[in-house]
Amino acid sequence: MLKPQEMSSVIITGSKNMQETVIRELHSMKILHIVEHSKNWIADIGMPLENAPRLSEILVRIRALSAALGIRDNKTKLEVKSISEIDSTAKKIAEGLGIYTDELKKIDEFFSKSQALRNELEILKGIDIPLESFANYRNLAYFTGFIKIKDMDSLKKELQKTTQKFMLFESTEGSRAFIALFIDIKNKENANGILQKLNFSGINFSGIQGQKGTAAQNLKKLEQESSRLLKRKDEIGKKIEKLAEEHKSFLIASNEFLGGQLEKAEAPLKFASTPSSFLIKGWIPSNDLDKSIDRLNKAAKNRIFVHFEPAKKQDKVPVKLKNPAYAKPFEFFLDLYSIPSYREIDPTFFIFLTFPIFFGIMLGDVGYGAASLAAFLLLRRKIPKAKNFFNILILASFVTVLFGFLFGEFFGYEFMHPTISREHEMFRLLYLSIAIGVIHVNLGLALGFINELKSHGFMHAVYAKASWIVLELGIALLALTYFRIILISPFIGAAFLGLSILMLLKGEGVKGLIELPSILTNVMSYARLMAIGLSSVILAVIVNEQAGEFFHRGGFFVLIGILILAIGHAINIMLGLLGSFLHSLRLHYVEFFSKFFHGGAKKYQPFGAKDE
Amino acid sequence: MAIETGLIALGSGLAIGLSAIAAAVAEKEIGVAAVGAMAEKEELFGKGLILTVIPETLVIFGLVVAILILNLAK
Repeated sequence: MLKPQEMSSVIITGSKNMQETVIRELHSMKILHIVEHSKNWIADIGMPLENAPRLSEILVRIRALSAALGIRDNKTKLEVKSISEIDSTAKKIAEGLGIYTDELKKIDEFFSKSQALRNELEILKGIDIPLESFANYRNLAYFTGFIKIKDMDSLKKELQKTTQKFMLFESTEGSRAFIALFIDIKNKENANGILQKLNFSGINFSGIQGQKGTAAQNLKKLEQESSRLLKRKDEIGKKIEKLAEEHKSFLIASNEFLGGQLEKAEAPLKFASTPSSFLIKGWIPSNDLDKSIDRLNKAAKNRIFVHFEPAKKQDKVPVKLKNPAYAKPFEFFLDLYSIPSYREIDPTFFIFLTFPIFFGIMLGDVGYGAASLAAFLLLRRKIPKAKNFFNILILASFVTVLFGFLFGEFFGYEFMHPTISREHEMFRLLYLSIAIGVIHVNLGLALGFINELKSHGFMHAVYAKASWIVLELGIALLALTYFRIILISPFIGAAFLGLSILMLLKGEGVKGLIELPSILTNVMSYARLMAIGLSSVILAVIVNEQAGEFFHRGGFFVLIGILILAIGHAINIMLGLLGSFLHSLRLHYVEFFSKFFHGGAKKYQPFGAKDE
Repeated sequence: MAIETGLIALGSGLAIGLSAIAAAVAEKEIGVAAVGAMAEKEELFGKGLILTVIPETLVIFGLVVAILILNLAK
């Protein structure tokens, strides 16, 4: 609590032939946070182990297969151990899948190719001549295309004037007619002229070459083929699904196993290395230090050298937060923001204390609290991954119920006499909010004082942090004398104010002076505790009033009233949850943290442990 | 209703409305930048969220002032 886990710096060194043993042992211990070595004039970084390329190759294949089979889960009970078994099984799966994917590809190709043919056949289907008629002739020419229906008669007349040797096929389509005109080649030019006059638009058919029978017959054949292939495609899809189901556990287990193996094989990239030796730098929690070193030495048969020492002041120590189980979920907020550095106060416990209270004051309704409590309990079971997040919300919802009793609200309805009414006693709540603000901001300043004390000494802590408290005193004294609550000279307050400004100037420089008004806006910002709550209450009351009117009318209108209640309160709960959560969080991040928090540390991530 | 009461209501409405517009404009700019940053680096979600809601304080001030003005009507 308040301080992160104590860490010790560890250096492990030995000859190259021990490297693999050490890596294997460290990986199974899951205790050492490795500090990556960067190449310098003494030592280069290490080379990956021999099997690394093969491992990554198989891993890529496994991941490709998982992607192709659409496997998304990552949990399985199955365990695989042998790399060659993974390799051969993966090949077998890939072969089976390959046949299906090839066939799918062919089917897709057929569909994209046959689209053009289908379009042509659609146009030709009304004309009852075999497709092979559209060939090249020595003494016959033909035209295909569209003209307007009303021009058909004049076309026939004009043609008959020039020659009797022609055949005209036609099919109508809306206001247009599709025609196929076969004519003696000597009259080709004449026919062309006539057609041009009638605004004929020609079409070339290239897709139908080599087809036999009429267009309608061909079209029917094409449809049959298409529906057969579509059915086949469905079948293949089902077969792939079956394949995925069958090999799911294997693929997930292999991915996990290979990931671990590859992590080991590539570990030397983080080490310092010479041609014949290696050196690993890292951090181990001090509690586990002796045990871990013993285990390492035993595994390496005492043929490695391990050096350890406590963290020095200038060290960049990876941080493992240490909090009691009840406050642990609130570490989530630090993960989201920044990990506190090794030597500063870990604020998790304070967030645990104040976050649910702020949330509760803002939402503050027995009904809303109970509803969200139920919802989050359910969601926690549904989404175990986000357990920490839901634990925070469950606690916050519980506190909401408590504040609901204080405010006497149940879905906006005043069900009991409130100790303090949010709807009617805005000013009382406003003063209360500001008072909470003063306390919270000063708590932040006190933590800041301790942080500065530890890192920069007593005087700096006084100048940089205690100055703010002097400033507040000055403002308070001035206000009290102004309102004649205490009768002293206003110069005393002004003197405090002046003193604090001088201290700030010394402690934080000009930047501190610019920040001066922030203390007021920071405290005023806590007015949101009242404001968010007020808007939530008023919305709830409006919903109730609207629904109430319908209830009075009776009969069918009661149903509408119930609907308004359900939808209105559901929306208000969502808004309330979002607002209360964000604003409570913001009060911590902006108003509270700015008083003491630096952050920016690396999180302690032991080698071999899985990311959570 | 007396015209004074109406004016008080109007003033109070302006106090909250204008501050809400100001907060919206500020939040829009920050939100755009935050989403852009998050697309590059997902870990910035926490900081982005916080930076985005910072101007919300403006509305809170507006609301406090609006309530103070409304109080004149009593």
